[in-house]
Amino acid sequence: MTEPNADRQELEERLDLMETMIAEGRQTAGHWGPIFVLWGVAFYVAFGWYMLEHHTRWAWPVTMIATFVLTRALHRRHRAGQPKTTAGRAIGSIWIAMVISMFVLFLSIGYSGNVVPAGVQTATLATLLGMSNAACGMLLKWKEQFACAVVWWVSAATCCFGSATIATIGFMTATFLCWIVFGIYVIITELRRPGHAGLTNA
Amino acid sequence: MPNLPELNPVVHGKLRLALLSLLSGVEEAEFTWLKAKTGSTDGNLGAQLMKLEEAGYVTAEKRFVMRKPQTRYRITDTGRAALTEYVAALKQLLGMAVIIANDE
Repeated sequence: MTEPNADRQELEERLDLMETMIAEGRQTAGHWGPIFVLWGVAFYVAFGWYMLEHHTRWAWPVTMIATFVLTRALHRRHRAGQPKTTAGRAIGSIWIAMVISMFVLFLSIGYSGNVVPAGVQTATLATLLGMSNAACGMLLKWKEQFACAVVWWVSAATCCFGSATIATIGFMTATFLCWIVFGIYVIITELRRPGHAGLTNA
Repeated sequence: MPNLPELNPVVHGKLRLALLSLLSGVEEAEFTWLKAKTGSTDGNLGAQLMKLEEAGYVTAEKRFVMRKPQTRYRITDTGRAALTEYVAALKQLLGMAVIIANDE
């Protein structure tokens, strides 16, 4: 079974090939960039609608549900033909669990009639987003995403200690940095990723 | 001269090695994805996947998604073990290549 004429260069090429292919297989985060940007824009749309329509109760649920449906459509479109990975399923699970928690909590708050201060609601949302980003950042060993988690947690703390105006500014700044800027960063990273040569020899 | 480790010829083929490496990093992958990642032709890719399947290194599952035929491949435990053994042999050979080069 041994190939006696296999020279060092050829063997090294085989090792390089394996490394490249394994990295290709594990590449899972690329298509999330546009979805991050989408959610950032959705938060601004919901907030703008909420302010323009004199604190209408429909702005947030309608925008969030519409964005969730759009996210599902984008994800399904991208996922067609993509491989299933354990890391991909783990990341998906974290975000799905976060979204379900968010909907259960905020729909219950909204329709219970109980008065929960807006700052506490914003802090809760920022904490959930921080948790999801931190979990994904640790799973992928991605410092930039963990940094987003820190920004969300700082925003959550600001909501608890600052006035309503400061809480809003803090949350919208975190939205801009952690959804839009981070999303654009993910898109650029994916676009810059080098391609690979075709393998025609068996 | 020490005994040279043996390189499994089924794994050693460039495209087959690429396929096993790709499949080792995912749970399962479609034919079209493997084709895109390796830049191979349908015929060549199909033939190499068949060889891996015959060796028991991958399994194929055919199904219809939105009325379109789809073939998904998974690396088996045997395939993973073969890949691990291949890497060990490759590293050993590379180590020997360094020793031989130094001797010369």
